[in-house]
Amino acid sequence: MDNINILIIEDTPEQSDALIKVLLENNYTVVGVARNFTDALKLFYTNTVDIIIIDVFLDGKPDGITFAESINIIPNASKPFVFLTSSQDRQIFERAKLTKPFSFLMKPFNELEILYAIEMAVEKFYEQTNVFLTEEQDTVISNDFLFIKKKNSLKKVALQDILYIEVEERYCNIITEKEKFVILISLTKISALLDPAKFIRTHRNTIVNSDKIEEIILADNLIILQGNHKINLSDTYKDFIKKMNILS
Amino acid sequence: MIKIKPVFIGLFFLYSFISFSQNKPFSNSTLKIFFQKKALQFKSETNFNKAQFFFIKNNLDSTLVYAMKQIVSSNNKELTDYCHYFRASCFYNKSLYRESVKELHLITNTDEILPLKKIMLGRNALELREFKKALSYYKELIKTPQKANQLYSICQVYEGLGLSYLLIDDFKKAEYFFQKNLILRKKETDTKGIYTAYSLIANLYYIQKKNEKALEYFKKAYTIAKNIQNFETKEFAAYNLSGAEETLGNYKKALVYRRESEQWKDSLNNQNKVWAVADFEKKYAVAQKQKEIKVLEVENQLKNTQRNWLFFSAIILLVLLTAGIYLYAQKVKNSKTILLQKNKLDELNATKDQLFSIVSHDLRSSVHALKTSNSKLSATLETKNYDELNQLIIQNSDIANGAYSLLDNLLHWAMLQTKQLYFHKESVHLHSIVQQIEYNYKPLLLDKSISFENSVAKNCFIFVDLDSLKIVLRNLLDNAIKFSNENGKISFYTSENNSDFCQLVLEDNGIGMNQTTVDQLLQENELLAKKNNSEIIGTGLGMQLCKQMIKKNGGKINIESQANKGTKVILLLPKTASNG
Repeated sequence: MDNINILIIEDTPEQSDALIKVLLENNYTVVGVARNFTDALKLFYTNTVDIIIIDVFLDGKPDGITFAESINIIPNASKPFVFLTSSQDRQIFERAKLTKPFSFLMKPFNELEILYAIEMAVEKFYEQTNVFLTEEQDTVISNDFLFIKKKNSLKKVALQDILYIEVEERYCNIITEKEKFVILISLTKISALLDPAKFIRTHRNTIVNSDKIEEIILADNLIILQGNHKINLSDTYKDFIKKMNILS
Repeated sequence: MIKIKPVFIGLFFLYSFISFSQNKPFSNSTLKIFFQKKALQFKSETNFNKAQFFFIKNNLDSTLVYAMKQIVSSNNKELTDYCHYFRASCFYNKSLYRESVKELHLITNTDEILPLKKIMLGRNALELREFKKALSYYKELIKTPQKANQLYSICQVYEGLGLSYLLIDDFKKAEYFFQKNLILRKKETDTKGIYTAYSLIANLYYIQKKNEKALEYFKKAYTIAKNIQNFETKEFAAYNLSGAEETLGNYKKALVYRRESEQWKDSLNNQNKVWAVADFEKKYAVAQKQKEIKVLEVENQLKNTQRNWLFFSAIILLVLLTAGIYLYAQKVKNSKTILLQKNKLDELNATKDQLFSIVSHDLRSSVHALKTSNSKLSATLETKNYDELNQLIIQNSDIANGAYSLLDNLLHWAMLQTKQLYFHKESVHLHSIVQQIEYNYKPLLLDKSISFENSVAKNCFIFVDLDSLKIVLRNLLDNAIKFSNENGKISFYTSENNSDFCQLVLEDNGIGMNQTTVDQLLQENELLAKKNNSEIIGTGLGMQLCKQMIKKNGGKINIESQANKGTKVILLLPKTASNG
């Protein structure tokens, strides 16, 4: 489980410092603070960024919105972002609104508000709303990551690190090469959100990352994964083998 | 030779006279009636009808045309015969005797008009100077037995026979027939016929040089002619008589008669002139009438246009009047509305002024408090009394917070009024928001030792504009803290009783209000509610802002309060439409 990388675009040092303090306290990683538009682009492309916090006005110009607009037009580059603003100027909002998904936070804000805004931005961006604040679910699934809420903070897990998933009622045990943890999500939801070509049901309550399969022993109904994890294979779900390219 | 001349003249007149009298076919009414009957009988033969109509009217050309049309178009032999007869008559009258004879020979079928044909043939023969032929026709006729209602008069035959004999110099026979004619004519009391008969006999004697006798008959003819209303007849009679007298050597008398003749001739001319004049006058009168009619028409038209014009102008006036009344009514209405609006505006302006003064007063006192506090601070700093220093700083920050929230409300209120406020509804997790609001007030709560409880349902999502909701909750919580006593209790909770709305309650056990204050607070546009608690000065701006924001979010606000027991503010907020 990794920390979330946040890029801050804020021209006022006091405010960025306050922001960094709050984020670090809540186990987020701040990959950089950009003071202007050019820095922002540079930092955005040189670092792995999960979430961006953008001040609308940089040096009195609405460059924050310009930045959001420019990353929005590049396919697959866009990331969840939160606008910070002290202005309630209608025109600025009309423009900012066009950079969908659009979430903003009015200054001054407190610790809870910024954390809430970040969560909302992730939910809106991956179009899985009302996840982090309900008691039924705590994970948003993107194409590459699981975003999991741990206490006040968010954590991420790369999908490619997952070996397999074990479902237990409303919980899922995620097993990676290094660790093992529990997330709160239903089987139907998780199977709908995961790529079915990659994550294969092998048993009533088991989903396996097909990239991690080392061996399938049909006689014993066993699948052996990397790190020597042995998984049971149920007859009902054997069909997937036909779709695989079998070497021998 | 001299003597003969008037005879010839007389004969000439005689001829024409005979032609005249005989060819007016409808001096013989039986013939007229006969053709009219035929016309009725063959109603469908329009050409024949027209031909006979014009024939009776003596319109020669039209008769010729329609008779020809009838002959060509129809094969009714009887009608064809009649038409041939019409044409023959017309040709005769036009002095085209040979044509007439040709037409007459084409009459072959109808026995009824055979005698007519023969009479006509006889006349034509006479005109063509074929006297023997004429005689033979007339002889044939006289042999045929006479019938009642026949189409011709036997007199015509006698006249023709007489004339024929006269012209072949068989005077005795001529005299016989003329006398017979005379007797018959006298019987019929046909003045014209009698006149003709006398004239013929006179001419007969004249040619025979029996001048005395001729004179006698001429005189008789003359007397008869006096009773005939025809100038021509009168002229001829006088002329003949004068000729007779002249032969007898009575020149004086001859002169008298000649003069009379001349006179009649003049009269005839005069009459013709008179007729012409009359005709002209008639035409003139007709033209005049026509003109009058035209004038009347024009007048009528003028009247019509005038009437139309009047009508339209009346309508236009009516429309204008209606429009005027309508506009006036509108104006009255508008001015009424304007007056109402003006009053309201005045009121609002007054309120605004009051608000302005209160806000300024508040700010002034806040800043003043800060000022005094700051000078105290620096004084305390010199004495290095850190405890008091801390106290002062806390106090300062309190003042600053109060002033800030006041200014914040003022800003939002202004933006709401000028419709500049950005409004974006989204799904909001109520529990988190209450938590976030509470976070800012933690120091204040702690300061007053008020216990706070957030028991908002965690599955409650509402669909509102986040910032306006925050403003509302901040104000309400601020009020609750303000009006709570030390060690009080404030709690937020939701109660589930509606599928569309989330009911959020903010309850405190502070000083509360009486019903009047509650009512005042909830009243629309009542910006400044009077405060019973004079210690805590407020503008009422916060409450006003709350009401408007809630309304804009599609929610409702209600207050339940009892003095010294506490207040319950109940908010109804629209839930997010659940989509699975």
